[in-house]
Amino acid sequence: MNSDFVLTVCPFCGCGCQFYVQVMDGEVTGVVPCKTDEMSEGKPCIKGRNATDFINHPDRLKSPLVKRNGKFEPISWDEALGIVSRRLSEIKQKHGPDSIGILSSAKCTNEENFLLMKFARAVIGTNNIDHCARLCHASTVVGLVKAFGSGAMTNSVPEIEGADCIFVIGSNTMEQHPLISLRVLRAKAKGAKLIVADPRRTPLVDFADVYLQHRPGTDVCLLNGIMNLILSLNLANNDFIAQRTEGFEELKKKIEEYPPEKVSRITGVDVVALEKAARFYGEAEKASILYAMGITQHTTGTENVLSVANLAMLTGNVGRESTGVNPLRGQNNVQGACDMGALPDVYSGYQRVKDKEARAKFEKAWGVKLPQEPGLTVTEMTDSAINGSLKAMYIMGENPALSDPDINHLKKALSSLDFLVAQDIFLSEAAQFAHVVLPACSFAEKEGTFTATDRRVQRIRKAIEPIGDSQPDWIIVSELARRIGGIQFNYTSPREIMEEIASLTPSYAGISYERLDNGRTLAWPCLSEEHPGTRFLHKDGFTRGKGRFFAIDYREPAELPDNEYPFILTTGRLMFQYHTGTMTRRIPALERELPTGFVEINPEDARKLSISQGERVKVKSRRGEIEIKAYITEEILQGVVFIPFHFAECPANELTSRNLDPEAKIPEFKVCAVKIYKG
Amino acid sequence: MDKQDGNGKIGAVLVVGGGIGGIQAALDLAESGYYVYLVEKSPSIGGIMAQLDKTFPTNDCSMCILSPKLVEAGRHLNIQLITNAELEEVSGEEGRFRVKILRRPRYIDIEKCTGCGLCAQSDFSNLKEREEEIWVDRIVIDEAKCIQCGECTLACLEENNENHAITNIVFERRKLTELPPEQREGREPETLAQRVALMDEESRKEFWQRELSRCIKCFGCRDICPVWIYDGAELEDAEWIKPGEIPPAVPLFQIIRAYRIASLCVNCGMCEEACPMDIPLRTIHQLMWRQTPESVFEVLPGLDTETKERLIRRVKEKPMVKTEIKK
Repeated sequence: MNSDFVLTVCPFCGCGCQFYVQVMDGEVTGVVPCKTDEMSEGKPCIKGRNATDFINHPDRLKSPLVKRNGKFEPISWDEALGIVSRRLSEIKQKHGPDSIGILSSAKCTNEENFLLMKFARAVIGTNNIDHCARLCHASTVVGLVKAFGSGAMTNSVPEIEGADCIFVIGSNTMEQHPLISLRVLRAKAKGAKLIVADPRRTPLVDFADVYLQHRPGTDVCLLNGIMNLILSLNLANNDFIAQRTEGFEELKKKIEEYPPEKVSRITGVDVVALEKAARFYGEAEKASILYAMGITQHTTGTENVLSVANLAMLTGNVGRESTGVNPLRGQNNVQGACDMGALPDVYSGYQRVKDKEARAKFEKAWGVKLPQEPGLTVTEMTDSAINGSLKAMYIMGENPALSDPDINHLKKALSSLDFLVAQDIFLSEAAQFAHVVLPACSFAEKEGTFTATDRRVQRIRKAIEPIGDSQPDWIIVSELARRIGGIQFNYTSPREIMEEIASLTPSYAGISYERLDNGRTLAWPCLSEEHPGTRFLHKDGFTRGKGRFFAIDYREPAELPDNEYPFILTTGRLMFQYHTGTMTRRIPALERELPTGFVEINPEDARKLSISQGERVKVKSRRGEIEIKAYITEEILQGVVFIPFHFAECPANELTSRNLDPEAKIPEFKVCAVKIYKG
Repeated sequence: MDKQDGNGKIGAVLVVGGGIGGIQAALDLAESGYYVYLVEKSPSIGGIMAQLDKTFPTNDCSMCILSPKLVEAGRHLNIQLITNAELEEVSGEEGRFRVKILRRPRYIDIEKCTGCGLCAQSDFSNLKEREEEIWVDRIVIDEAKCIQCGECTLACLEENNENHAITNIVFERRKLTELPPEQREGREPETLAQRVALMDEESRKEFWQRELSRCIKCFGCRDICPVWIYDGAELEDAEWIKPGEIPPAVPLFQIIRAYRIASLCVNCGMCEEACPMDIPLRTIHQLMWRQTPESVFEVLPGLDTETKERLIRRVKEKPMVKTEIKK
């Protein structure tokens, strides 16, 4: 009997816990916590503990599939890659490179994202590459780049323990980032003040010193109100504002328009709580803000992010330990996928496509001419597919058929494509629309790196041989690139890809596999081989020079309830499932906890509609209708309902709207109008 | 061993073991004029015989035989009792041996102890239900079991004032809390188990409510437990713990878990180490170690009577160890 323990990184949330995968005779048998890991300290959550259970699931794709007469048939790799390369070349020739759209994956490694980015730009010749960050933190990247110059979490996770005040807004930290909430609670045990703002009463609220239950979509107003109070209580850090920021006068004028009474009227939070929150945050020496989808997934997403940045700069809580503006990234490698340039407007390390120098650098390195104009985002690709300008799509490890807004519209888009390739480990909802499906490997079957939410780059290691005929994504992509005529795709291992990344990406310049050995981690920017990595950003100056204040006016969400659709629907995730459930719904321990979705509804609303606990109801919006179980709870405000989006049998995203943030193009998942009735 | 007496006999005798055999030997030797050191490992002499009802073959009451001898051995001028001690090494030769004896601390000054017995009846002792689980006796504090709650010390102090007999370090620790902070430095503070044991019912309830409501139901405490040999049992039964709920029923979830391993727990502390929310689970087991499972429910309050009865009934109906053992 052969047994082995392979150190790797959890494939679920952005915390990035390392653990050992236990291997017996070439088969994965379980997870063993790693005590020396800084993030998890040997204490993974339930998803981490069961992270390997889906690897050997019978549903795993074991050979390439091709759709013939509406049915999938297994074929050989040679045939499959032949079809894909032939069809993509044809479409490229006939309709131009921009008729092909490529979706990368926040579940794949940095190397694979970089490679797919290179494939799109150098081989296909299009900037139409994007991934699911568009649906979660696109507004963070845009907003924080505008305010600070860098769109990532400013501080590292362990630092949270040292904060004097923690302001959690729009994040269900306890369920989505359990190991980060541990830090929050440790800080609280040391005497820190905890402020939680969320329309839904999340488990963290039980520990809060102040709870602000504001109406969905009123975040800007709430934050302006708090800033107004901080100014009037004289708690602003004037030295910081004078020395390190610009644009304060404008902001000051703007937030004077938000006296507490007005804010209270709009948000539904009472003035006393607002003042308490302002005092706690303003008086703290080290205050840290944590936020997530509750801030970003709005038509005002970028504005929300800018308001958060305003609040931090107003009190000088940036650029020091245990402070900062900390967007909690959802996926294990969504930070990495953004860093690698799997976005339509930037190369790796956020080097702009429009920047001539950057483009010249990549053209020189890859030996090809690169397209100049930024490409289409995920949300724009859908529309282009329907109006016919996008002919083909290549989807690597994503399931937009459950995660994108208004999925009826998306399904129409996918089925109107001439050619769709899906590369995945399971036949996901989106893959079912594909013409060719390529079986990829799970995290335990390949080498690579993941970048966790606090910019920490960590290695994953191969524990077992690929299941069936599946192949690691980087092999599939480079083989395909070679067939279509790409040069410089002769990699023998992800290590070589990382060397290329380091040579082309300033913030990853000092990162190499050698430095990541033995469970060591490096947080970018890591500028040279001697650079120790960066725990917190903007220490002596902001990345863009001076921090910029933006005067933001409160705007209402795009779709508000009316007589026909009287409820606000807000969507989100739950502890025991993960995103579209492609993996977690195949893990028995998790599926047992949460086998299906529900709609959370306030008891008062339920009484009016005479809905009883557990009854099946219909929820309808302007875009679709689903049948779902009612769950009556005090945790949600009157007039608001909540549906988790994990479940294909009751997909919340059939209801959500395609209204986009104008800058970040992020859809408004958190607010749309619905009605509920008994069917 | 240089005792010499008037009869011209030289030397003293060391008797190892204070059971009925050792006592009789010591008495016989002492009567013949030797000075006897009687070494006994446990805190008191008497051994197994004190635990028997009748003796073979006469069916005599064992205590009727033993107790006069105990009294005699205790009062005999030629016998010195060395209890709570063990023989470590013997050197020398016949007639002139040197021995090394390890004496364990008793935490009770037997010169001062009046045998009032109040320590054994102190508050915390009352929580116990099985007699054999006594850990504070009037003759000794059992090091292995004591959680140093300090209740016995207080009882002794109350009865005997300045002349208190218990020298438990807890006494020092409790005095610590009265000192100004700067003088406390360098001295050992109270442990969590002590603090919890000493809480009144209300604050204990609050304490567990606060700690356990952090639970995110990762099952880490259960999965890592070396003595958890059941399947999911009630923890995965929707009748007891609602699936998908966070935190899972407080404190029922932890009570069921604790109950399941009550008789097997070795207090290794892995459950606490595995907890991603830093819940002090080990404290539950430190307290549980000295309590029967029924009384644990008093230590972990907040459970309504109906659920409690249901749980006890269920556990009694089902065998503690299932035949199917988790893979």
